[in-house]
Amino acid sequence: MSGDDMNPAAAPQPVEDVQGDGRWMSQHTRFVQECKDAEPDVLFVGDSMVQLMQQYEIWRELFSPLHALNFGIGGDTTCNVLWRLQNGELENIRPKVVVVWVGTNNHEHTAEQVAGGVLAIAQLLTSRLPKAKIVVLGLLPRGERPNPLREKNAAVNGFLRSWLPRLGQAQFLDVGGEFVHSDGTISPQDMFDFLHLTSAGYRAVAKPLSDLLLQILEETPEERRASLV
Amino acid sequence: SAGDPNPAATPTPCEDTQGDGRWMSMHNRFVSDSKDKEPDVLFVGDSLVQLLHQFGVWRELFSPLHALNFGVGGDATQHVLWRLTNGELDHISPKVVVLWVGTNNHGQTAEQICGGIMAIVQVIKNKLPQAHTLVLGILPRGKLPNRLRERNGQVNMLVQEAVSALPHASFLDVDPGFVHSDGSISHQDMYDYLHLTPHAYQAVCQPLHARLKSMLEKPAEN
Ligand SMILES: [Ca+2]
Repeated sequence: MSGDDMNPAAAPQPVEDVQGDGRWMSQHTRFVQECKDAEPDVLFVGDSMVQLMQQYEIWRELFSPLHALNFGIGGDTTCNVLWRLQNGELENIRPKVVVVWVGTNNHEHTAEQVAGGVLAIAQLLTSRLPKAKIVVLGLLPRGERPNPLREKNAAVNGFLRSWLPRLGQAQFLDVGGEFVHSDGTISPQDMFDFLHLTSAGYRAVAKPLSDLLLQILEETPEERRASLV
Repeated sequence: SAGDPNPAATPTPCEDTQGDGRWMSMHNRFVSDSKDKEPDVLFVGDSLVQLLHQFGVWRELFSPLHALNFGVGGDATQHVLWRLTNGELDHISPKVVVLWVGTNNHGQTAEQICGGIMAIVQVIKNKLPQAHTLVLGILPRGKLPNRLRERNGQVNMLVQEAVSALPHASFLDVDPGFVHSDGSISHQDMYDYLHLTPHAYQAVCQPLHARLKSMLEKPAEN
């Protein structure tokens, strides 16, 4: 974990507009704008796994009531999330909890590098929001059948599980325990394209996460709540 | 020149660059699904078709029409062409095929993309001579005016023209007016300025559903 400066997965980087419609920067700019108007208690940041959750009923049911903001962008890597957080997406807000879910799109990086990139995000959040708790969600298995990316994501989770507790405010939550069946397959009922979750898949993920968030928010001391108003 | 092959009209499987084989898994699932089902309506296309399947509007409007969904995120015309020529149409005889693809054909001209869409229409005609293909107009994209919006608009004009001469195909513009008077598209309609929210799917799907119902009620003529 030494030499973070050398880790390409920990290097902040905006997404290049190769398609030519500027959608990534439009989304980032909108999130920065939302920071000026909203007072979220919970901030979600990450890739399409975060972004798509907001399109399902589960978001309104479990997370909107917690005053949650969703800064997910499809396709983002740890580098892209780092860049966004360093370029305005943490201005003017003081969430009590930040949920981080990113890394499955880091195709050019090793498991250790990906975990280092997630750790760099957690470190940035720790320094920018010293009072916030950070919940890092484990990367999910992917692909219909066993494949190298599943093994890599599991390895990322292994590093995160051992590294994150060193940051006092951060904790790791593995929400992917039930997606791989005994025959090694993942069902399209859970992941419609063997990567992205169906509404049933999100239900399985959201319940333990929502329980943890409620617990953290309840433990937030009253005086701190008052000072955050 | 006219002699050059059109990449948008050349059947091409999606290369598994990521290494988890998801694209081929989806194709194989569609082929195997099609052996047990007797759909009256088949939806084929990219993520705009695929995500439709995930929201309530699918169960509300299209499941009752006995619809099957063969959408794959990221697909361009050449990928759909490959899937349809490699088993996805071999075990079913839908009355209507809804085709919605083209916005992912990056680096290709409007003429090439139209050629790709028309090649798909032809494959459907060959494989399912009784079916009618309903080609949906591809949507504007990006928060602000951009060249992909213009290109998609040109594709729609070309496809509409090409399809008008064919008895077995028609075109439907399903854009309810996503571009506001100031030229912007709202994230309330397209959450990432490309993919539709459940709310926007409602607006797109009401006229589509009405069209499908009237097509299915008509006695088959060809
Ligand atoms: Ca016609």
